[in-house]
Amino acid sequence: MHSFPRPQERHLAAQRTPAEGSCPECGSAELADYRVLSEGGWWDVRKCGRCLHSLSREPAPPFGSYTPLGLEI
Amino acid sequence: MLGVDIGGTFTDVVAVRDGRITVTKVASLPSNPADPVVEGARRLGVEGSTLFNHASTAGLNAVITRQLPKVAFLGTDGFRDILTKARLWRPLDAQTDASWRRSFGDSGRPLIPRYLRRGVIERVLADGTVMTALDEDQARRQLEVLGRCAVEGIAICLLNSYVNRRHEERLRELTQEVLGDVPVSISAETSPLAKEYARASTAVIDVMMKLMFTSYAGELDERLRELGFGGALNFADCAATLMPWRDALEQPFRIVFAGPAAGTTSSARLGEALGERELICCDVGGTSTDVSLVQGGRPFVNDTFSLEHDLIINALSTEISSVGAGGGSIVSISATGDVLVGPQSAGADPGPACYGRGGEAPTITDACLLMGILDPDGFAGGEMHLDAARSLAAFEALESRLDVHERIAYAYRIAVHNIAEEVTNVAVRHGVDLRDFALVAYGAAGPMLLPAALEQLRVKRIVIPPHPGLFSALGLLSTDLVYYDSQSAYMLLMPDAAPRIAEMFEAMEARLRSRVAAGADGVVVARSFDGRLYGQSWETPLVAVEDGPITAATVAAMIASFHEEYERRYGNRFEAVPVQGVTYRVQLIVPIDKVDFSSVPEGSSAGEPARQRIRTLSYFEAEPLEAPEYDRATLGAGAQVAGPAIISEGLSTTLVCPGQLATVGRLGEISIEAVSGA
Repeated sequence: MHSFPRPQERHLAAQRTPAEGSCPECGSAELADYRVLSEGGWWDVRKCGRCLHSLSREPAPPFGSYTPLGLEI
Repeated sequence: MLGVDIGGTFTDVVAVRDGRITVTKVASLPSNPADPVVEGARRLGVEGSTLFNHASTAGLNAVITRQLPKVAFLGTDGFRDILTKARLWRPLDAQTDASWRRSFGDSGRPLIPRYLRRGVIERVLADGTVMTALDEDQARRQLEVLGRCAVEGIAICLLNSYVNRRHEERLRELTQEVLGDVPVSISAETSPLAKEYARASTAVIDVMMKLMFTSYAGELDERLRELGFGGALNFADCAATLMPWRDALEQPFRIVFAGPAAGTTSSARLGEALGERELICCDVGGTSTDVSLVQGGRPFVNDTFSLEHDLIINALSTEISSVGAGGGSIVSISATGDVLVGPQSAGADPGPACYGRGGEAPTITDACLLMGILDPDGFAGGEMHLDAARSLAAFEALESRLDVHERIAYAYRIAVHNIAEEVTNVAVRHGVDLRDFALVAYGAAGPMLLPAALEQLRVKRIVIPPHPGLFSALGLLSTDLVYYDSQSAYMLLMPDAAPRIAEMFEAMEARLRSRVAAGADGVVVARSFDGRLYGQSWETPLVAVEDGPITAATVAAMIASFHEEYERRYGNRFEAVPVQGVTYRVQLIVPIDKVDFSSVPEGSSAGEPARQRIRTLSYFEAEPLEAPEYDRATLGAGAQVAGPAIISEGLSTTLVCPGQLATVGRLGEISIEAVSGA
């Protein structure tokens, strides 16, 4: 049986992978790739960590990082 | 006095001086909206004018097209998505459509994208006590993010701030510390009412309108004064009441959509002068017909206004229903061969085919021209010639098995029926009997379409007001300055609630009186409340509260008024159920100069009014009808015209159908009734 302990952090955040390039809006090099849940489902985005401008936004799998029964959908 | 109505296509400016009405139209210029207003004012002359009343649909157009400033939203942590969830209302046709999304949702066209909506750690409970203190360090970090995003304004709405506004006020101070002098709207000030979604959306629209209108209004005032204007510049709100422009900019969400309500106000004022208290108001324009109700002499006012489906703001607004049927409505043939009218419109450019400006689709104006209702040489005061050959070619080009005469006749009838259907819908929704109502027909196309609906609607009579084409704009000159405030507090209406209700009304009245210029004459205070039957989740708005001190007897009278208003709106009453007060409102009404519907001279009692000529009306009956044409300016009070007939004036044409009798009233209005037995 799985157990899921209560998280210690107040907020959980998606893991961000630094990306190459600079933001076309503010010029910052703090770009990162990560997954977000928004209306319309999960999205893989590349955003500027400084001004939050979205450089790209691609549809992610319908259940995000969760794979029901280990199946890729 | 002058009134200006800024629409998406044209800016109409109307002036009334010594009882004479003049009007001019200037093409609207969204990139610099003050220019056409100033140009119109210059043409008509503002020197010596005492009033310049302003209405604009620019706010609504900006919301619809999302041409909006970059604004951020701060909400209670965990509630930043209330702007997207809205009230969770789905339109009827989307009940079974899983793919339906709100137009302002994140995947659509959000007013504020999600990354600019930030949560702030704090929590106030429904009774106003603080459960979690405002985390100022976390709030500063969020504001620093927004600063890096270069937002232009901030809207703040925290849970339950309408009972305890301390966190919102502190957050505003922090915003100014971190971001400097950016416009900020806090919901506890813009709209201190229960229900956080409407409070949030109102705060968002408020800060957006601050950004749109602040510099515009200042510039307009300055430029009008350069033209010699020395009077008061007032802005109209969604209920067509006025505020001095500086006061309007303190709560600019109220002016997001001003204009259409002015026609209803104008109708109510005409009705008051005529002794008619029950009116259906129909404004037939180029694209649509706006239908509204005046009951007991009062326009039907709601406490919220929908900018889009489920995108609401807490502004008092005249209830108006629209149907896509007007003079410019395009006639088309459906895939199954039916004649359709609207909702597409040819607009002002290219306009109907008969304008000869490149429009190829037939419209209702083309049908009226071919039927003989419109005079090809008398349109728009004779300034424009209409080309009947182009109209006929446009109808002939439709792909239909009907012959062209049937297409024209059916198009006119369908347009009339579409309007009649919407009028009936409004009447049914309000549970009123149209036989008790007079229908006020205005807008340039109203007098030529609505008399044909008399048979379907069975209203008492149809009233064509003086200057029907300008009637809405005149409404801007028919209203008072109104300051209002409101406050929510849920409480059962019992005798012991009187002291708390009195305290709220007194505080609001004191705040409003401090805004009114000292020495203003004839100020009237009107109190009301929104209440509900205990257990309901929606309110019946604007229940009148009697003058005088609030006592246990006043509370009993409030309960009685609630049941009266409930019955007026919904057609039934439940006196056994307790009444809960939700929101309390005060209006301070300051009378100002208004346009006067001056009397017209009595007509000659001897003989019939003089005919200009005989016109031929087609498609009403199997054979063409001979119809005399009259100049409205020559018809004195008491003059009677039997249908079929045409009554012409500069900007509109009135049709009197066979079996109808038109009588000119003492204010110059034309009253059309069915002749009994006809």
